[in-house]
Amino acid sequence: MAIQLLYVEDDPEIGSWVSQDLKDRGYEVKWLKSGEGALDAAADAHLIILDVMLPGLDGFTVGQRLKRNYPQTPILMLSARSSIDDKLQGLQFADDYLTKPFHPDELTARIEVLIRRSGSLSDLPLELGHLRVYERENRIEHKDTGEEIILTGKQFQIFMYLIRHLGQIMTKEQIYEAVWGDPYLDGDKTLMVHIRYLREKIELDPAEPKIIETIRGIGYRVRA
Amino acid sequence: MKFRRFPKFRSSLLSRYFLIVLAALLFVPVVIPLSFLATWLMNSVVTTSQEKANPNYINSGYLTANWHDAAKQLADASPDKINQRLKEYKKKYPFATIFWVDHSGETHQLPPVLRKLPVQWSLEDTIQYMKKGGSDDNFFTVVAFIGDSPNKRQGFMGIEVPRSYFIKGASDSSSFSLFGITLLLLFAFFAGLSYLFFRDIRKRLLTLESAMHFPGEDGLPQKIHTGKADEIGMLEQSFNYMVDQLRESRIREVEEEHLRKRLVSNLSHDLRTPLTVIGSHLYSLKKENLSEQGSQSLTLMQDKMRDLDHLIDHLLSYNLLTSGKYAIHPKSQDILRIVRESAAAWYPLWEREGLEPDIDLDGESLIWPVDEQAFRRVLDNLFQNIVRHAKSGRYIGLSVECSPGRPAELVIHDRGPGMLAESSTKGAGLGLAIVKLLLKEMALKLDIDSTTEGTRMRIHP
Repeated sequence: MAIQLLYVEDDPEIGSWVSQDLKDRGYEVKWLKSGEGALDAAADAHLIILDVMLPGLDGFTVGQRLKRNYPQTPILMLSARSSIDDKLQGLQFADDYLTKPFHPDELTARIEVLIRRSGSLSDLPLELGHLRVYERENRIEHKDTGEEIILTGKQFQIFMYLIRHLGQIMTKEQIYEAVWGDPYLDGDKTLMVHIRYLREKIELDPAEPKIIETIRGIGYRVRA
Repeated sequence: MKFRRFPKFRSSLLSRYFLIVLAALLFVPVVIPLSFLATWLMNSVVTTSQEKANPNYINSGYLTANWHDAAKQLADASPDKINQRLKEYKKKYPFATIFWVDHSGETHQLPPVLRKLPVQWSLEDTIQYMKKGGSDDNFFTVVAFIGDSPNKRQGFMGIEVPRSYFIKGASDSSSFSLFGITLLLLFAFFAGLSYLFFRDIRKRLLTLESAMHFPGEDGLPQKIHTGKADEIGMLEQSFNYMVDQLRESRIREVEEEHLRKRLVSNLSHDLRTPLTVIGSHLYSLKKENLSEQGSQSLTLMQDKMRDLDHLIDHLLSYNLLTSGKYAIHPKSQDILRIVRESAAAWYPLWEREGLEPDIDLDGESLIWPVDEQAFRRVLDNLFQNIVRHAKSGRYIGLSVECSPGRPAELVIHDRGPGMLAESSTKGAGLGLAIVKLLLKEMALKLDIDSTTEGTRMRIHP
């Protein structure tokens, strides 16, 4: 089942271009030219892309209403208003804020991250190098042998966190705080130890990791 | 509101001050005689009131004059007439010893006899009596020749009144002290008047001062109650007028701030929307089959569009920053965390542009009072500059440097051609100007060491 997007944009040129591009990328897009009817249309959307300057109700108001009705559905603000005030106002309810002009690749990347994060996962397994990851079933197997790789709780949480932010570099603080739920206070060593054991299980050659990449001085990344 | 240049003379401080000075000048020539008059008046009032209180009391001066008068009137009078006259006195002063001595020296004492007198007076007795003015200190004695002259040879008449019957007449010393008191009272009155005059002025000036010094809830001085229409009253009116003006300008300022923010938001929208449309067409074009030259032009157009986008962003931010409308709320936090997150976001671009990141931020945290959004903006602008102008160095370094005696510094290092080098993408330096303004707002400093070998930017408190 294709991922369904609700896209609210009043500018016809931008609207038709973006919706066409997203359709080309395999999404199902419902494009509205104003916030009117957005509440109904959002019922079966996996993600909502919302402009701010709309005729009638502005995007902030529409977004707040949508979030109230569908708290699980991620909202991505796509606006030509770039001031900090606008961004902060938008991020009070929205999950991401992208300013125009933007590159369609960036929009797609952000959509993917949000979809992944929200748990609207596809049934198709994710292929990472020699691994095949079934996100819904929390199962990781060796692509060639079909052998299941068993991870401990923390190892699995770390790996899943990185997969949910596929292609993004996550800092040590972000990973530690997401997995352990505690503030990062020199949790450096703990995280490093867990990553080392995780690599021993999932990497072909733990000395030269291919799946989990170390970004020196910053954190880790799992490339798509 | 209209103001008089000067207050009416009648109600001015100047006129009141003149009055006080005039009073001071008139003090000597008018007030001193006035105080004499007052003393005299008080004396007579006191005397009259004492006489009223006890009609038996008599005044020695009056009695003496009166006795001599009576004696004069009795010139050539018969003994009966004299007796008759003295009887009247006896009636008036029953407590007095009244007598007369005829030319033969015989005493005629009026009954009842209160004191024994010689029956027959010799010349010596008479002289002795007159010399002593009576025989006893307890009596006040007046003696007068009948006809008021010894030549009449009618003898003399005398009256002795016990001293207790006399009013203690206003003596010199008592009248002097009365005068002094009056003078003192007048002085006190004058001093009090001056004090009240200046106290009033002082009080009003202090009220004005405190109204200026202690602003109300809105941070503006509060209006004050205007009193008299004198110079200070006018100052108070002007002060209230100024407060009104301030309040109006504050309201205008808030409106202006609101308008400016809306304008910036709308401008941003109006500039970026067509840019997005252009971008969408460039993107679509790129998918077409283009010649190599066409493809190059397209890439260039996309680059320039991105520059334009940044420029718009910078211009609008700069506008808000320089007009003080960019909200910055610094709070103490670990900036290395922000640097790491920001670097994580930029990392893919650095990789794409061929910059080799060298990030060494391990170790202690660096707690500075910063506004997270503003600090991210600073880093974004600096990283963007490196991507645009120092790509050729193929290097970006982020590190924390601690040198003894100096606070730790965040160092952003590139190996580009330096800031003085010509760059095709060089702009008006708005990005750096914004960085400096933001850092200043957060009490941080930026030092730049730029050579042709590269640029080191050091951020420190």
